[in-house]
Amino acid sequence: MTYYLTTVLVYAAVDILACLAISLQFGVSGIVNFSFIIFQAAGAYTAAVLSLPSDSANGGFQTYILGLNLSFPIPWIGATVVGALLAPPIGLVVLRRLRSDYQAIAMLVLSVIASLVVTNTPAFLDGAAGLSLVPQPLSDKFNPYSDGYLWAYTIGALVLAVIVFFIAQRVINSPYGRSLRAMRENEVAANALGKNAVALKMTVFIVGGAIAGLSGAILVGFITTWAPSTWLYPETLILFAAVIVGGRGNNYGAVLGALLVPVGFEEATRYLPPFGPPGLIPALEWVCIGGLILGFLWFRPRGVLPERRRVFPARPKALAAGEQHAGRD
Amino acid sequence: MSLIVAAFGFGLVSMSIIAISAVGFTMQFGITNMINLAYGQVMIASAFAAYAVNNAGVSIWLALPVGAVFGAVFSFLLNRLIYAPFQRKGTNLIGMVIISLAVSLVIANVLLPIVGYYSVSYHQNPGPTYHLGSIALTGVQLAIIAVAVIVMLAIYALLRFSRLGKAMRATAANPTLARNCGIPTARVVDQAWLITGALCGVAGTVAGMNSDSFSVASGSEFLIPIIAASILGGAGSPYGAMIGAVLIGEMTEISAAIISPEYKQVVAFAVLVLVMVLRPQGLLAKRGALAAAG
Amino acid sequence: MPVETDVVDAGPATPQQMPAERPLLVASHVSRHFEGVRAVQDVSIDVLPGRITGLIGPNGAGKSTFLAVLAGTLPASSGTITFDGHDVTALPAFRRARRGMVRTFQLPSEFAQLTVLENLLAAAPHNRGDSLVGALLGRRYWRADEDRLVEQARVLLERFRMSAKESDYASSLSGGQKRLVEIMRALMLRPRLLLLDEPMSGVHPSIVGEIADYCEALRDEGLTILIVEHELHMIERMCDPVIVMAQGSVIGQGTMAALRQQREIVDAYLVG
Repeated sequence: MTYYLTTVLVYAAVDILACLAISLQFGVSGIVNFSFIIFQAAGAYTAAVLSLPSDSANGGFQTYILGLNLSFPIPWIGATVVGALLAPPIGLVVLRRLRSDYQAIAMLVLSVIASLVVTNTPAFLDGAAGLSLVPQPLSDKFNPYSDGYLWAYTIGALVLAVIVFFIAQRVINSPYGRSLRAMRENEVAANALGKNAVALKMTVFIVGGAIAGLSGAILVGFITTWAPSTWLYPETLILFAAVIVGGRGNNYGAVLGALLVPVGFEEATRYLPPFGPPGLIPALEWVCIGGLILGFLWFRPRGVLPERRRVFPARPKALAAGEQHAGRD
Repeated sequence: MSLIVAAFGFGLVSMSIIAISAVGFTMQFGITNMINLAYGQVMIASAFAAYAVNNAGVSIWLALPVGAVFGAVFSFLLNRLIYAPFQRKGTNLIGMVIISLAVSLVIANVLLPIVGYYSVSYHQNPGPTYHLGSIALTGVQLAIIAVAVIVMLAIYALLRFSRLGKAMRATAANPTLARNCGIPTARVVDQAWLITGALCGVAGTVAGMNSDSFSVASGSEFLIPIIAASILGGAGSPYGAMIGAVLIGEMTEISAAIISPEYKQVVAFAVLVLVMVLRPQGLLAKRGALAAAG
Repeated sequence: MPVETDVVDAGPATPQQMPAERPLLVASHVSRHFEGVRAVQDVSIDVLPGRITGLIGPNGAGKSTFLAVLAGTLPASSGTITFDGHDVTALPAFRRARRGMVRTFQLPSEFAQLTVLENLLAAAPHNRGDSLVGALLGRRYWRADEDRLVEQARVLLERFRMSAKESDYASSLSGGQKRLVEIMRALMLRPRLLLLDEPMSGVHPSIVGEIADYCEALRDEGLTILIVEHELHMIERMCDPVIVMAQGSVIGQGTMAALRQQREIVDAYLVG
């Protein structure tokens, strides 16, 4: 029971982080980062190769670069940094004046290329087999199989999710967030009003990349394996579906979407009795996700929790003494 | 050297398959401004439709029209029931990309329980192998090339000489203007999807004929070279797509021979990204690729 | 209550009486061609401070393209643009805006999913909260700036009689109201030069006069305006000088009355 609960909660924390990042990039700033999964994968791989011993260990059954056997929290910090560092090169390639659907497809293709390159270069990150036996954080001091460790990990992951949530809240509800939304609405007009849209986009891209990298580190530290099959491009689509369903442009929507879509689906299908030929249930899951995307985009494109209207309080009473100003009707 | 020449021969078959599919794909984009990412899945579904008939004892050459018809009807319904309504609703370009991805996901996962995970192959007689220097192609492969040539000529004739072809070109260039000139654009669009859908079905079936085996997973593998060829040649331009197909077809086969077979896909992907980034309007630009609204 | 829209101290004299004043904006042999089309060919103009300069011409004359090149939305293919004595030709649009040259757009360009007040606030510079670090430091850090700008924006809204719409989504406004929001938005930057791209097109006739009133009032307060328009009687009323473009080049300059005398101008540009 402990194992089940902690797994669900850790996945929830990871999905929440991912959805917050996508919400910031897509919902608030209008950046369609269809290569998102690369950032999460890079974070996971970084945390893995920083915490794994050199690849001759364990009988040398896997080959990978680095293997520095560093202890927590360095691998996680490294993962966050790598996630941030990947953003400028990818961003420079795709964040330019291009049709938005071209941009999206180019990014999707980038994630497929990354997957192929990793799969076909075993010396880099052990190719298709991926990395396993990744040491868990502080597992040299504590028993990673104990209930206590699992719960501590879970709480740590959730705390990180909460921290990032509050950071994202600060960003969205600030004048900076307003500039991002303005850029989303009309980039050319924003430029004409003094906003450096390119810099704004790149910044959001980097921040989102860092969050994605961290989410990858949290996940790989829990499940201890990571292979290309974990990060195929449809994963990005699930996260976008989550943000669309939950509500764009606001963090509560992102959290709701993360809980409803990736987590909710996993759990809902867990309780279905197995029926039909093997593989039917996962296939149905994907059909439902596709249907969910189409349904929401048709009936409720704003999502369950739409972006709220910002209303500013009326002037303080001292100024308004004797004056009836129609500041708000 | 002979390896490269042999690869060149295979490239002829590759380019034929890509040409048939890319022309259909790019015309869908040109006429309805829709990057139909479900195209690969429709190809595979049509291939399986042909397989169903072929498996029941019919020759693959008679099953080919079945694949074409299946592709035509499927694509037509796809546009009528899903793409067009969303476009009318004013969904922006990104929304349409997400929608076509969702549709391709649904198609793939509806197919899976029906046809299973395992690969299948057509019951076909590959025919004798013909040699020309280092080039070695079977009868079926030569027939595929012939099919591609016939299809290309037919499309050329359609666009150049027929009234529907002219109507399609007008609609692609400026739908509002076309409508004001009295062209029944809705009907033209329907017919366009039927024709391009048929191309999709033919392409899927001949791709199946050219492979040792195929499965539902092959659908997504087809898509990238098709998009690459279309954008390389200039999105919306059928002739550009033909040129793009020639280039992509040869590039993938020859690089597979020189570097390694696994990298065949990477080459197509890399070309696509490079073209999108460096010259998004492609070689024969038709539609604006640069910072259009949306 | 006077609105502070301009930091330029133009001095007490009225603009028309100052001879040989330095032009605020100089375009020198500016051209713009793209994909074989020569939209703007070797155009040179001076925009004098404190006046409303009109830019008129038939459709396809290249007026809007030229305005876009001035503002930096489009790059010039050749030529130089000098603003307040500084060469801004290589500067992107957002830098020119920060220096005081702000444009509006012909097509509605409001920030649709933001409220009217937010549209104005989004444009305002000098807000400590308008950076990532500022945002992370929290409301306490930027609240003072925000309150000040809200005040400034509300004063503008009142002047343009749109206070009641403060919390409405900009997308819900009428065409004329959207134009006013765009002008107010531009004013939040306290520009020295306002480039207006057909602000009266597609606007209800009653609002057309209103926009002209606002333009004249702003000019009297010292703001320099360059306006591209087709509403010739408004141009005649407000503008001195008026520049005429046709087929990418300038074909005349002067007051409307003087231009009417020139046959080529009238021929090139029928209607009146």
